[in-house]
Amino acid sequence: MENLIHLWENTGLFQITIGQVVMIIIGMLLLYLAINKNFEPLLLVPIGFGGVLANIPGAGLADPGGILYQFYTIGIESGAFPLIIFMGVGAMTDFGPLLANPKTLFLGAAAQFGIFATLMGAVLLSTFGVFDFSLADAAAIGIIGGADGPTSIYVASKLAPDLLGAIAVASYSYMALVPLIQPPIMRALTTQSERTIKMVQQRHVSQREKIVFPLLLLLLVAFLLPDAAPLLGMFCFGNLMKECAVVDRLSNTTQNSLINTVTIFLGLAVGSKLSAESFLDFTTLGILLLGMVAFSIGTASGVLMAKLLNKFGGGGINPLIGSAGVSAVPMAARVSNKLGLEADPHNFLLMHAMGPNVAGVIGSAVAAGIMINYVSGGG
Amino acid sequence: MEASSLLNEGLTLMLYGMGFVFIFLTLLVFVTTLMSKLVNQYEKSVGVLPADGVPSPTAVIPKHGPVKPSLKEPDNMLSILSAAVQEYRQRHK
Repeated sequence: MENLIHLWENTGLFQITIGQVVMIIIGMLLLYLAINKNFEPLLLVPIGFGGVLANIPGAGLADPGGILYQFYTIGIESGAFPLIIFMGVGAMTDFGPLLANPKTLFLGAAAQFGIFATLMGAVLLSTFGVFDFSLADAAAIGIIGGADGPTSIYVASKLAPDLLGAIAVASYSYMALVPLIQPPIMRALTTQSERTIKMVQQRHVSQREKIVFPLLLLLLVAFLLPDAAPLLGMFCFGNLMKECAVVDRLSNTTQNSLINTVTIFLGLAVGSKLSAESFLDFTTLGILLLGMVAFSIGTASGVLMAKLLNKFGGGGINPLIGSAGVSAVPMAARVSNKLGLEADPHNFLLMHAMGPNVAGVIGSAVAAGIMINYVSGGG
Repeated sequence: MEASSLLNEGLTLMLYGMGFVFIFLTLLVFVTTLMSKLVNQYEKSVGVLPADGVPSPTAVIPKHGPVKPSLKEPDNMLSILSAAVQEYRQRHK
């Protein structure tokens, strides 16, 4: 009899808490969204499954010693996984459109306003006592507005590890929702005639320029903002491997097998942060809301900046590509292209929008560097 | 008191951050434009790199790979010439 009771006390049914039930359901919901709705499946499948695993009662997969905990410590706490992913992203990025029209870097800069506006929003909410965010928390939440998964995870792991689960889920969900969130904002801020502005064919960018650019960017980072060097350094390294074309084997590995391997473990490790105690909290709701605001402001400021450039920079820029300044590559650029085609079926904006899109990646990495620098150094 | 200092910090970080992002990317615009000009100037005199990169991989250097017949070696020269002669004869019978 005693043995039976012992066995019963060790079952999941006996030990499970309401919180764990809810979190398992949330994990399943993420899996549903990924599998059935195709929302960022490459990340949401591992994250959702990791979330379910982390909440199995009694198994303690996410507790110290558990396997998910190990993945988290090795990969995310150390900052390694997001950086390796960034290297892969670098190896997949083509800076050609950006080099053909460097002015689009301004659009990538403007879209980062979303990050800082949200930081302000989070700080204001704390001031009024709605939430209790520190400056570091606020900075980590703001970076969701950069719409850049690895950057968000990197910053959150440095500044606000407690909020990492919610921040990662928010930032990947919004990246998947780009095609729903952006178009209404873009339509509201542009007129029909602006949407039909034709952009001239881009000039040809030579291979040498593409090889020199990552080195140039690296030097600029090294001189001005060493705190962004981990992110942008790996990014430039990946890109150089691709463009120099003499290490195709390395470049292929980085773009494919390596980034895929790391994505699996990154997803599971993020999932391990979806434990009931830390996720089922009023703050998570706040993070989801603020993330959405961040994203919308980023989109809007990108579009407005494009209109400004048009006024003072001689014109010829379709404001629709401004929204691509948020760095969700390449979804944001595709959205610009789609809206452009809607306004004028012969207007292909995709390549033009890739410029601000990769500029957005650089911009949000710079913003991340500044935040880490300010919060951990000065503040 | 503490709340207002948080507000101040946030405001400072926002201005400082946004300012820096713009300064950085503006600099990048200038440097990139300059770089493109220089590279294009340079390429006018040397020609462009092939898009598929410089030949021969660096990672593995095949030691006993297929060796291209070179005209400098007399043996190769002979076999190439005899092949050509044979080809010629077959066509013009």
